[in-house]
Amino acid sequence: MAETDNYKKTGDPNNYFPVNKSYIKRKKIYNRIAYGFAALAFILGAFPVFHIIYSAFIIGYKYLNWHFISTLPTGFPIGAKGGILNAIVGDLYLVVIASCLAVPLGIGSGLYLSLFGKQRANSIIRLLNELMIGIPSVVWGIMGFYIFSTNAGLGFHFGFSALAGGLTLGFIMTPIVTLLTEQAVHRIPASYIEGALALGATKWQATKSVIVKAAMGGIFTAILLGVLNIIGQTAPLLFTNYYNTGTPTGITGPGGAVGDIAMLIFIYIHEPSRILHYKAEAAVVVLLFFVFTLDIGMRLISWLTVKIFEMF
Amino acid sequence: MTDINKNNIDNITENNKDEIKIEVKNLNFSYGDYHLLKDINLFFKKNSVCTILGPSGCGKSSFLRTLNRMNDYTEGSKLTGEVLLDGKNIYSKSVDVVELRRNVGMVFQSPNPFPKTIFENVAFGLKIHGIKNKQFIVERVEKCLKYAGLFDEVKDKLHKNAFSLSGGQQQRLCIARAIATNPSVLLMDEPTAYLDPAATATILDLIADFKKFYTIIIVSHNIQQAGRISDYSGFFLDGELIEFSKSGDFFTRPKDKRTENFITNRF
Ligand SMILES: Nc1ncnc2c1ncn2[C@@H]1O[C@H](COP(=O)(O)OP(=O)(O)O)[C@@H](O)[C@H]1O
Ligand SMILES: [Mg+2]
Repeated sequence: MAETDNYKKTGDPNNYFPVNKSYIKRKKIYNRIAYGFAALAFILGAFPVFHIIYSAFIIGYKYLNWHFISTLPTGFPIGAKGGILNAIVGDLYLVVIASCLAVPLGIGSGLYLSLFGKQRANSIIRLLNELMIGIPSVVWGIMGFYIFSTNAGLGFHFGFSALAGGLTLGFIMTPIVTLLTEQAVHRIPASYIEGALALGATKWQATKSVIVKAAMGGIFTAILLGVLNIIGQTAPLLFTNYYNTGTPTGITGPGGAVGDIAMLIFIYIHEPSRILHYKAEAAVVVLLFFVFTLDIGMRLISWLTVKIFEMF
Repeated sequence: MTDINKNNIDNITENNKDEIKIEVKNLNFSYGDYHLLKDINLFFKKNSVCTILGPSGCGKSSFLRTLNRMNDYTEGSKLTGEVLLDGKNIYSKSVDVVELRRNVGMVFQSPNPFPKTIFENVAFGLKIHGIKNKQFIVERVEKCLKYAGLFDEVKDKLHKNAFSLSGGQQQRLCIARAIATNPSVLLMDEPTAYLDPAATATILDLIADFKKFYTIIIVSHNIQQAGRISDYSGFFLDGELIEFSKSGDFFTRPKDKRTENFITNRF
């Protein structure tokens, strides 16, 4: 083979380079096979996503209009007429309330873990954190019920409400934000913090003016993934908020419950009404659209923040 | 004071001890059970350049970091002995670590500018010490960039990100950042390790020039460099200070066989 001859001609003519032709042939085949497997895995992984989008769109398309997202549900069974405004507004309430709890708590503990804590204590906290992520959301729901919603015994007696539901979702979101914030800070080169400390910065100064800024992109991703996770939750809401077909009059007590797109899908699918099934699919498209916009929006904000922070 | 220090090569006594910037006394340092630095004793004279030499892993960086207490953050590290800066033990309880680090600047092995603008990198050391006067900050930043020989190259892009600079420029930016707090000591840990020969030469010239303001302690693996710029040279091996002497003697008449082996490249 021509290749083998080339090997012989190069370099020191006395230093023969033994060429294993069959191995070279095989390694190229292995490379193709690995490539094929990776591509197959990607297609299998991506298929459900495209299938969900496609089928939801095909089934729900006739309800996808401005009216659908700008009016409250009416008719009988409720939702047969009108749109899903209650659920969109409700999600806004829930995400804001959950974030009020989870963003400061999660970022705070993430920073603490990566910068201040001692190794032994940290590994325990990290383990607890991972355990919390593994707790089924229905268990969080039951816990949320006893802490926030029940009107008997101890607890806050918020009733089935946005506050009870939002805080419960906040508990689910916190360990996610914590874990991802810690990882984001972990990716920052140690030399940044050393550079700041060596100039006489305190750990807090180094954290707030160098580390947080450098990790900003990752921290935004942490918040984003936390929010995306809770937007899809239904089980915790079953016990703490349930569902409201109208607009809330407050965030606690009677009238404090809100709608929620995931709950709406869950409820509509269980109704023996074809129209509601179609509307549930349309709501899936709306939910996916919000997830998409949120993702793009957060990336944009994160990019802008990084750009702006570079100047200070 | 003088008897315990076998490296008292300048005959420092009670009478002339104000020529001394830093005195290291019986310094021992361990990472957990790993006893790294063993009984280090030496003086650093004011406005001198001293090079610390030694094979990699012998404890040069660790030693340097005991001089501004950067090892405080290494979990499980233990230190005994004293480091006297202007006669005061930096490990005594009353010492303010923030003020210590303002006074003892540090430049790291690989350039580590912050992900900020060139201007903000230099201004950082001023702001964290509570300086708010804009005029003062602008003037100081400009002055330090000039000292670091960088001003002409960056004066039109002070508000660009520091990462847009070349490696050599970034390192000079880090030097400007370190001198912005007006320290009296500069610690440099292989500051030219990742730079090309031209950038290295620029920084070595700077160091030679800086002697009039600062006491400079520089870790190096490059014997030629050490000989060129330093007044004193110390040789570390396995955490021990094998030899410490004036650079002239160090390179021409080493007292210890191991030093001789090292400077003739037998490590
Ligand atoms: N944080 C640390 N924890 C434990 N051992 C360390 C740590 N830093 C350095 N060492 C060890 O101390 C020895 C000296 O390291 P260092 O001071 O960096 O040497 P040098 O700068 O001379 O190459 C090495 O064996 C290294 O593995
Ligand atoms: Mg080193």
